[in-house]
Amino acid sequence: EPQRTAFLLRKQWTLYSVTPLYRFSPARLRDYASLLSAFIAAEKQKGLAVEVGVELDIKVAVSSLPDLKGSDQDQAGILVQLSLRSQASKKNSEEKMVWSGWFCCVFGDDLSKNVPEDFTCLPLFLANGAESYTSIVGSWFQKTFDCRFRRLAISPLSLSWMAAMWTGCKVDKTTSAMELVFSVPSLPYPLDISYAIHPEDAKALWDTVQKTPGEITQEEVDVFMDCLYSHFHRHFKIHLSATKLVKVSTAIASAHCDGIIKFLQSQYLTGVLMLLTELAISQIQ
Amino acid sequence: MDETVAEYIRRTVLKIPRDEIKTMLQKWGFLSEKQLQTINFHQIKENVSQDVVQLCEANSADIKQAAVLDIIYNHIYPNKRMWSVYQMNKTGEETEIFDLTDFKKKFKRRLQSALKNVTISFREYEDNAIWIRVAWGTPYTKPNQYKTSYVVYHSQTPYVFISASVLKSNLPLLCQALVLASNYHDIREMELRSHSLNSLKDIVFKRYSQNFQTYHPRPLQERNAAPESGTNEKERIQRVNREAFGDGPQPKLEFAQYKLETMFKSDPKMDVLDKKEPFRCLVKFYSPHLLESLKSLAPAGMADAPLSPLLTCIPQKARNYFKIREKKGLFPGSFVSP
Repeated sequence: EPQRTAFLLRKQWTLYSVTPLYRFSPARLRDYASLLSAFIAAEKQKGLAVEVGVELDIKVAVSSLPDLKGSDQDQAGILVQLSLRSQASKKNSEEKMVWSGWFCCVFGDDLSKNVPEDFTCLPLFLANGAESYTSIVGSWFQKTFDCRFRRLAISPLSLSWMAAMWTGCKVDKTTSAMELVFSVPSLPYPLDISYAIHPEDAKALWDTVQKTPGEITQEEVDVFMDCLYSHFHRHFKIHLSATKLVKVSTAIASAHCDGIIKFLQSQYLTGVLMLLTELAISQIQ
Repeated sequence: MDETVAEYIRRTVLKIPRDEIKTMLQKWGFLSEKQLQTINFHQIKENVSQDVVQLCEANSADIKQAAVLDIIYNHIYPNKRMWSVYQMNKTGEETEIFDLTDFKKKFKRRLQSALKNVTISFREYEDNAIWIRVAWGTPYTKPNQYKTSYVVYHSQTPYVFISASVLKSNLPLLCQALVLASNYHDIREMELRSHSLNSLKDIVFKRYSQNFQTYHPRPLQERNAAPESGTNEKERIQRVNREAFGDGPQPKLEFAQYKLETMFKSDPKMDVLDKKEPFRCLVKFYSPHLLESLKSLAPAGMADAPLSPLLTCIPQKARNYFKIREKKGLFPGSFVSP
């Protein structure tokens, strides 16, 4: 099971929320691939192509990711991959994957239970590759299934939650520090602060804060962050709480407030996706 | 003219902003004024550099002359490189008069005896700064002109500013040659690095307006007075900031790093971590102008005034890399930085 999702790890994914898709059928993935392929070719003719001056053949593959779901109510993940096949070397069919994007829904009951039959809920979309390809693929889905894509920003509050949650996860080899990045752009000279804590020490702190294993409360997250802020203040007299938390990095995953995520451990992939699905649903509703 | 020299000159000229090319070539002095007048400096840089190369060809330029142009470029644009500061030490009271010829001879001799393939160039400037450019080769290959180290040595001081290239393995040899040539005993790297060479000089030569970190215990009533509001507090912050940072412009640093190995302390009623071992952290500050940025934090309401001495001590301690441990004993709230 981990092997099938291994390709998702250690890549930078840009996050979007997607409104429910109208009359989407998981049985028609091959058709969708052909239709999307034709759409891309047409856009290329119109001059809206990505590669200028180079004759390149874009191959589209749409497949299902059955492991990417939370509950049985969730729709299985859908993966879209764009590969380039150079005209020159058409015979040796060497394809280079240039873009991938996937839809998923992990424990998205809050959304799916309120939606009519004709709609499929896949509220979270993750893209890796050139922005121009994301734009073309997004346009096709929006046109075809009457849905809307929106960039998913991650608030400092959500980032704090991720910091606390991921710090508590048990990892075999704790080599990565727990890093928080803060930004103060409004100063005459902008300032960025990276605050990295040894993973064992961060986990030791979290373990004394968390009262019930398996459960996290907002209060516990607040206490955890306050501890880190006050340790910092003790040394530097700077109030980190007055700055903007923009990035959180742990051994599990890293997340940036612009809505960019990197998964580092397949073991915790579902957990992170569940949190992101929740954020996507909030943005939709 | 060697093709590699031609290419090197071409690339060096391309780095120079178009409006500065003529001035820099004049400073170089390798091409005559008459030759310079034949160049159209308003064409695109690609063409300007080709014209320059052709003229250099006519004058049979060699690598030594090309190296001088590179020094001139780096002297005017030192901020493109990252500089580290080193301090040399002498034991004893020998105050010898600095002999430039002797210095150059000894420096070259040390490097060339260890490494046959090396290009060494010197250029002296008015402020007693000696610029040294070293292009490194190996026992089997010619010096790579694109892998250069730069040394700026102010002969009246024990300080050396080094911009090493990627080949860090040559650093010990370079340091050795400096110590030998300047008649010092040894050399150590200070924990001070920046792209702004002039700011590094400002810091070690104490050329900035310093703050006065003396202790003025305020009279008891003042200390126990209720916190002031509104403009009084603003004034207090400005005053305290000035005391901490000094009045003048700050030296320009982009970076400061603190390795914290201090204890985690919390409010006992919070019932959290209470370990006997240090809470290990690595804190990094980044800014296009770090000290000015830090100075603006308290007025912006994001920090207390006075700011921590860990930050305000950067110019006086002449370092921007720190390891902080807990100070044992009487004042458990204070820190030491070895």
